[in-house]
Amino acid sequence: MLQQIVNALRRQDGVSDWLVRHIRKLSQQHYVIGDGPENTRAVTSERVVVTVMNDHRATQRGEELVRGEAEVTLLPSDLAHVSRKLEEAVFMAGLTDNPPYGLPTPSEFPRVDLADPEIRAQPQEVAKHMVQQLVDAVGAEKGVRLSSAEAFVDEVHTSIENSRGTIGTQVETKLLLDFVLLASNGDEEMESHIAFDRRRASDLDVPLLAHRQAQYARDAIVAQTPKTGTYAVVVSDEALAELLLSSGYSPLVLRSAGQLKYQRLSPWEVGKSIFSVEPRGDPFMMYSNSLLPFGTRSAIFDSDGLAGRRTLIIKNGVLSSFWATQRYAEYLAIPATGTFGNMEIAAGSSPFDQLFDGHGTVYHIVAFSAMSPDPITGDFVGEIRLGYEVQRGQRRPIRGGSISGNLFTVLADAQFSEETVFLGDYLGPRGMIFPQITVAGE
Amino acid sequence: MDLQKLPPQLAVPAEVLPGLVAKMERHVPYGAALLGRTGGLEVVVNHREQRVSEIPLRQGFVFTAWNGRWFEEVAGTDLAPRPMMALAEQLAKAVEVLPSAEPIDPGPETTAHFATPCAKDPTALSSKDKLEMCRDLHSRASKLDPRIVNVHVRYLETRDSKAFANRAKRLSQNVMRLRLSVQVFVRDGQEVKYDWATRDGVGGLELIGFTDQELRRLCDHALALLSAEKVPPGMYEVICTPDVSGVIAHEAFGHGVELDMFLKHRARSEQYLGKKIASPLVDIVDDPSYPGGLGSYFFDDEGQLASPTYIIRQGIFERGLSDLFSAHRLKVPRSANGRRESFERKVYARMSNTFFARGDTPVQDMIASVEQGVYLQHSSSGMEDPKGWGMQVTSHYGEEIRKGKLTGRVFAPVGITGYVPDILQSVSAVGNDFALSGGTCGKGHKEWAPVSSGGPHLKLKARLG
Repeated sequence: MLQQIVNALRRQDGVSDWLVRHIRKLSQQHYVIGDGPENTRAVTSERVVVTVMNDHRATQRGEELVRGEAEVTLLPSDLAHVSRKLEEAVFMAGLTDNPPYGLPTPSEFPRVDLADPEIRAQPQEVAKHMVQQLVDAVGAEKGVRLSSAEAFVDEVHTSIENSRGTIGTQVETKLLLDFVLLASNGDEEMESHIAFDRRRASDLDVPLLAHRQAQYARDAIVAQTPKTGTYAVVVSDEALAELLLSSGYSPLVLRSAGQLKYQRLSPWEVGKSIFSVEPRGDPFMMYSNSLLPFGTRSAIFDSDGLAGRRTLIIKNGVLSSFWATQRYAEYLAIPATGTFGNMEIAAGSSPFDQLFDGHGTVYHIVAFSAMSPDPITGDFVGEIRLGYEVQRGQRRPIRGGSISGNLFTVLADAQFSEETVFLGDYLGPRGMIFPQITVAGE
Repeated sequence: MDLQKLPPQLAVPAEVLPGLVAKMERHVPYGAALLGRTGGLEVVVNHREQRVSEIPLRQGFVFTAWNGRWFEEVAGTDLAPRPMMALAEQLAKAVEVLPSAEPIDPGPETTAHFATPCAKDPTALSSKDKLEMCRDLHSRASKLDPRIVNVHVRYLETRDSKAFANRAKRLSQNVMRLRLSVQVFVRDGQEVKYDWATRDGVGGLELIGFTDQELRRLCDHALALLSAEKVPPGMYEVICTPDVSGVIAHEAFGHGVELDMFLKHRARSEQYLGKKIASPLVDIVDDPSYPGGLGSYFFDDEGQLASPTYIIRQGIFERGLSDLFSAHRLKVPRSANGRRESFERKVYARMSNTFFARGDTPVQDMIASVEQGVYLQHSSSGMEDPKGWGMQVTSHYGEEIRKGKLTGRVFAPVGITGYVPDILQSVSAVGNDFALSGGTCGKGHKEWAPVSSGGPHLKLKARLG
């Protein structure tokens, strides 16, 4: 299918450059409610995504040479109509006037671990085993039962080819384990809900995670609303990754994006501090890392065919480089780094337990209802789904209320744990303490 | 594209679905088939870039077989009739039907095709004309203030076609969803702030467009955010715009009444069926048949014809939203809320257009009745907590109300949290206006589906922070 489309692209008038991605996916999905199945699914899909660039004289003003691009998706049943689809793409690309840019030229691709041999060999068994491990682990937890679980195990093959001679193939595996536990003390019942994305089954210690989530569900029953005021707040594990990475829409990622710089939406400058106040916390170092073994955002090549890499973005709180795909790198005259990979943040120097020392009352947040800082401004507000009030070594569960602030202000003062965690797309400190955060509660 | 007919990519394979279902039902007590194709056009214009392109096409099939207790499904992208037939039969043969198989009701016999009525059919306008429409909007907005650093205009036209068959039904639909959004970015030194406005819905080009006055207001809001303050945390009397009201309806009492949550024992509302849960002024409705709502459709992904569901009437929780599995297990009537993100995912009980019903208080009277409070505008996100009955809604900004008047003092962003029954019972006035806003809703952190939410202005009490 890929070759047929490539041949058609080479024949098509008006195609100045092109990029083709052939994506085939196999997915096994298991859904459980309580102790019984709800659904089992097997999904296969295949599609080719074609990006066509058309160079033409500007349609709006001037006579300079400009470039437009358009994307079309071709399915196996579209092969008889490839020429018509490509003509449509050329027409759409010809409508828009953008400054010219190129595509990645051939380069050596890195070796990156993206596929779990166990998943590739026995996807259905891996999904079933994860669910069984979960059921067994929850069965050992007093006062806790499984509400529901979903296990997806996917294998994705991607082949890429572009008009500049770049050709590559990568095979990746993905798994998702999403589950809800219910804890009851007879009068009251509460839940804990979590979803884990990984590439490799052995990166999830299901019994350990089930035990942790069971305790969270029990604690939610007795949790109380936090007090209103300004407090030191520790955010840890998945909640910290959510605050910093926000599924890729993080202000840290977007403000360091070449595209946003080009669009005049990022005020950041290379060599200048990213913080809005004088930094007093641990040095903040952030990398975009596409080479992290089994990282869920790792890749041999990005969506344009640029080789995966590890790039220092922020060094000691100062912007070291923007990350940029080929197009925006050319627009800004900076090196192309490719799409942002996994977020890697350097560890701090304090043991996690010592982060709580010397701050009086500390709120430790382990789960937000949702935390997505504004991607442009960095302002955030998040409801506390579960946390702990820590005072003189005593921990009291809390839930409800919210914390708010601005990421570029609170990070300037933050201290990081020396322990690190790998959470699929995040490798960095297990926890951070922010000394001054507004808490809205009782 | 002729909306009165299925696109050819679905029309041919749709012909074989009844026969395919019959073949499956030789082996299983219930079978169903769904074909789906979602595609369309995106046009983007901002200060530095332009784009006209197809949106990523999703097209595929799902065959569903019932083993007496749960569903087994296969799904894929190859719509060639012969392989589809073979795969469906293979699925049905492989299913181990349980001895005490419970029957599934396929519903009344229905054969119909539905199409979105469009006064101004978007497919009659060329891509070039749509690009010109966006360029014009961009140009008008860009001139409004020198502090504007970018204006992002996006036109999104989504054509969502489906064909469904079980042993009683043969249905097809073409749904046209449109969105036109303008995002204005302003900068003062290192501060970049923005605001946006959207027109959307199921229908034609008559749904979208902005007057110069609306663009001026949008620009003024973005500029006001440059001097916005943080709201002092605490309990407030608030007035919510329809947009914020809608997200409260969606998060507070939408997700928590999706009946798969009852099966999973994840919804506290289960204990309140038939009981008072809100102020008697409150009616909450989910209606996939609401004309023009972005979450509208004619039948759901399990062949149930769209109709409204009163979730709360005069403060009493009446009924929830079901998919086939939850309705069957709970032995309750179905509602048309069985929805998939795409053929790649299973059906869940999902909302469509969810809103507070209109009241009778003029908005100005509501504001005038507040001694000290906040006028909350423009929701930017929300999250449900059906078990704990917490709720999180983020308002992009709010304006102070003092002695019944808006003071011009702006807070941003404003987090609204609280215990759902407390919030719903605190509703003390319901506006006589009404508006829906479209968006994309997830179930947990995935399973994205187009929805809308809204209603009138509301006056209530909530914790802000």
